[in-house]
Amino acid sequence: MSKPTLLLIDDEERILRSLRMLFFAGYHVRITTDPHEAIRILRDEKIHVIVSDQRMPVMQGSELLRIARETSPATMRILLTGYSDLDASIASVNDGEVFRYLMKPWNVEEVKSVVAEAAAIAEASFAVQSHTDIAVGMASARPRVLIMDHDETTAKIVHETLSDRCDIVWASDAQHAMEELAKQDISVVVSDLMLGETNVGYILKTIKQLNPQTQCIVVTTFNDTSRLIELINQAQITRFLPKPVSKGILARNLESMLERFKMVRNQPVLQKRQAVAPISDPQEQVQAGKFMGMLGRLRARIGV
Amino acid sequence: MHSSNRSGEDILAMINPIIAISPDSPLNDVAEEFFKPEYAKLLSLPVVEDGRPVGMISRYRFMDIYLKRYARELYGKRPIRQFINKRPLLVDLDQTLASAAQYVAENMQFPLTEDFIVVRHGQYLGVGFVMDLLKAMEQQMRANTGELEKAYSQLKSSQLALVQSEKMASLGQMVAGVAHEINTPLGYVQNNVAIGQELFSQIQTMIAGYESLVDNLLDEKASEEQITEQMQMVAAMRNDVNAQEMLGEMNGLMADSLYGIGQISELVLNLKNFSRMDAAATDMMNLNDCIESALNIGRNVLKNKVEIIRELGDLPRITCAPSQLNQVFLNLFTNAAQAMEAQGRLHIKSWHADGDIHVSVADNGKGIPEDILTRIFDPFFTTKPVGEGTGLGLAITHQIIQQHGGEIRVESRVGEGTHFHIRLPVVAARAAQVAMLEAVAK
Repeated sequence: MSKPTLLLIDDEERILRSLRMLFFAGYHVRITTDPHEAIRILRDEKIHVIVSDQRMPVMQGSELLRIARETSPATMRILLTGYSDLDASIASVNDGEVFRYLMKPWNVEEVKSVVAEAAAIAEASFAVQSHTDIAVGMASARPRVLIMDHDETTAKIVHETLSDRCDIVWASDAQHAMEELAKQDISVVVSDLMLGETNVGYILKTIKQLNPQTQCIVVTTFNDTSRLIELINQAQITRFLPKPVSKGILARNLESMLERFKMVRNQPVLQKRQAVAPISDPQEQVQAGKFMGMLGRLRARIGV
Repeated sequence: MHSSNRSGEDILAMINPIIAISPDSPLNDVAEEFFKPEYAKLLSLPVVEDGRPVGMISRYRFMDIYLKRYARELYGKRPIRQFINKRPLLVDLDQTLASAAQYVAENMQFPLTEDFIVVRHGQYLGVGFVMDLLKAMEQQMRANTGELEKAYSQLKSSQLALVQSEKMASLGQMVAGVAHEINTPLGYVQNNVAIGQELFSQIQTMIAGYESLVDNLLDEKASEEQITEQMQMVAAMRNDVNAQEMLGEMNGLMADSLYGIGQISELVLNLKNFSRMDAAATDMMNLNDCIESALNIGRNVLKNKVEIIRELGDLPRITCAPSQLNQVFLNLFTNAAQAMEAQGRLHIKSWHADGDIHVSVADNGKGIPEDILTRIFDPFFTTKPVGEGTGLGLAITHQIIQQHGGEIRVESRVGEGTHFHIRLPVVAARAAQVAMLEAVAK
C-alpha cells in the first residue's frame, strides 16, 4: 500500500517544517501557509488527512475545514490550534465537523496516533467512495430520538419537527435516559449538558462508544471551552447549539442529523469516521464504566 | 442611619407629662403653680383648653408683669389667657427628631424662655425641653456621621475591589492571550526536540554499527564472514536512515527552535514590560514606548484583524505611572478591535505641542451612538453582554488620565468610527503628581 497523504496548513512555517519532519517517514506530506492553496490541493489530489491551524490571516481553520468537507468528503479533518476560544470550537463542530480538536503544544505520540487512525479511516472511506453507494434505501425500523433536556422548548421543537417520522422519548433524568438507551439503539440524541444536577457528558461519550451510528446534538447554555473540546474528541458530537436556540435552527439540524444517521447506519465506514477518543477524565471513566455495566445487565434482562 | 426615620419614638422619650393650666385660671394662681416642686425645671407652663394647647406662659413673662408696680393687685385676678404667648412651640409626636429640631431652632426666642408643647393630632400630650431636643439631635448627628463614615469607607473599599477586579479581568485576558501566543512556538520547539531525540538515538545506533565495522576491519582475527555481515548491517541502516538528509533537515529545525525560543522570550519580556512588576511605579517615560508595549500585548487581539497605522512623533519623557498608561492604551486598542465587525484600521498618532503631549487613537469601527456617547466614561456603563465587561474599562481610563493631570475626549460617528484624544501635560501639576502617587500606592 502506498503512503497516505497529509496536508498541513498553518500560518507559521516553522510549525509546518516541524510537523513535516515528524510525519515524513510514514506519509507523503504536503504543506502550505495559504488556505486557498490548500483548497486547490484538496481538489486536485487525494488527501487522506488535513491538519489545519485555526487562526490564520486569510481564513479561519474551521472555515477551511468546512470547505474541505465539500471538496473532499473522504478526507479526515483535524484542527490543531493554540487558542481555545469558544467560538472557534463551536465552529469546528458545526462547520468543520472535525475528527479531532488538538491543542498546541501537542503531545507527539498523541498526534502521531490520531493522524495514523485518521489516515486508516480515510483510506477506507476512499475505497467505499469509489464504489457506488451500496446500501441506500435499506429497510429499517422507525428512528428513535432521545431528548435529554429539562427545557420544554427543546422537547416541543423536536416533537413538532420529527414526530411524524420518529419515536420520541423525553428522558426526565439520567437514570431514565440510560434505561431508554438500554432498551434500543437511539438514532439521534438531543441533549443539554446538564440534566438537573447531573453532568451528562459521560453518557454522551459512552453512547458513542457503544453505538457509533447515534448522532448527537448538544443544546446548552453551558459554555466551557475545554469541556466542549472533550466532547468533540470523546463523544464526536455533531452539533453544538448554544441556547436559546431558534426553532428554525434546531429543526434544520434535527433534519440533517436524521439524514446523517440514515447514511451512517447503512455505511459502516462512515461510523468509523466518527470514532471517539478514550474518555480522559478519571471520574467520567468510572461513571462510564458503571453505565456500561448497567447497560449490559438491562439489555440481558430485556433480551435485546 | 435608621434613627432619623424612627418617627414618634424620639419625641415620645422627651415628653414630661405636665398638668396643663386652664386659660381661665387667674394670673396669681398660675404664679403659685411655678413654686410647686414638679414644675421646678420648667421654663414655662402649658395652657390648654378642651384638650388643645392655646398658649404658654413663662417665668420670664411673670417677671415682666410683676416688675410693674402693684401688678399683683392690678392684674392678679385676671385670667391667664390675657398674658399667654398664643404662638407656643408645638411639636407633633409623629415628627422626626430632625424636623422637630429644625422647627424649634428656627422659631425659638432668645433668650430661651419657653419649653415646647408636644401634641398628637392637635391634642396636648406634655412638655418637652428644648435642650433635651437639641442634645438628642446632636447625638443622632454624631451617630449618623459614624454611619456615614462607615458607609463611605465601605463604598470606597468596594469601589477599590471593583477597580481591582477590572484590572484582574484585563490582566487575565491579556495573560491568556499571551499564553496562547506562546503555544505556537512552544508547539514546534517541543516537537523539534522530540524529533531530535529520536534522530539522535538512530544516529547513535549507526555510529555504533560503523565503529564495530571499523573494529572488525582492524582486528586480524575477524573472519571474512563477520566483516561481510557487519557491512551488510551498516548498509541496511544507511538505507533506512538517510542520515545526511535527516541531519540537514534537523539543522533547519534547530535554527527554528532557537528562533521559537527567542519568540517565547520576547513574549515573556513583553509581559514583564507591560506589567512593570519589577520597575518603579512612577518613572520618566516616553509615551510612545507605552503605546508600543500595549500594541505588543494586544497583538493577539489585533493581529489578522486590524491594520495599525503609527504616526508617533518625537515626545519628551514625562513623569507618569507607566503600568497605568499601558493599561489605558491597551484598553483603547482592544475596544477599537472589538468595535470592528470585520477587518479594520487603527490610526495611532502622538505629538508634542505647547507643553502637552497628545495621543489620538482613531478606529474605523462601528462607532458609538450619540445617546450613549456621553455615558461611556461612567462606571458600570457597558454595552457588552452580562459577564463580558465590567463597564469599568473606560471609567478607569478616564480616572488614570485625570490622575495624570490630563484629559480624554471622544468623538464618534455611527458607521464611521470612534476617535479618542488624550492630552497629558509634560509637567504634571503638583496636585496631579500627588494623585498619581496615591493611585499607584493603592
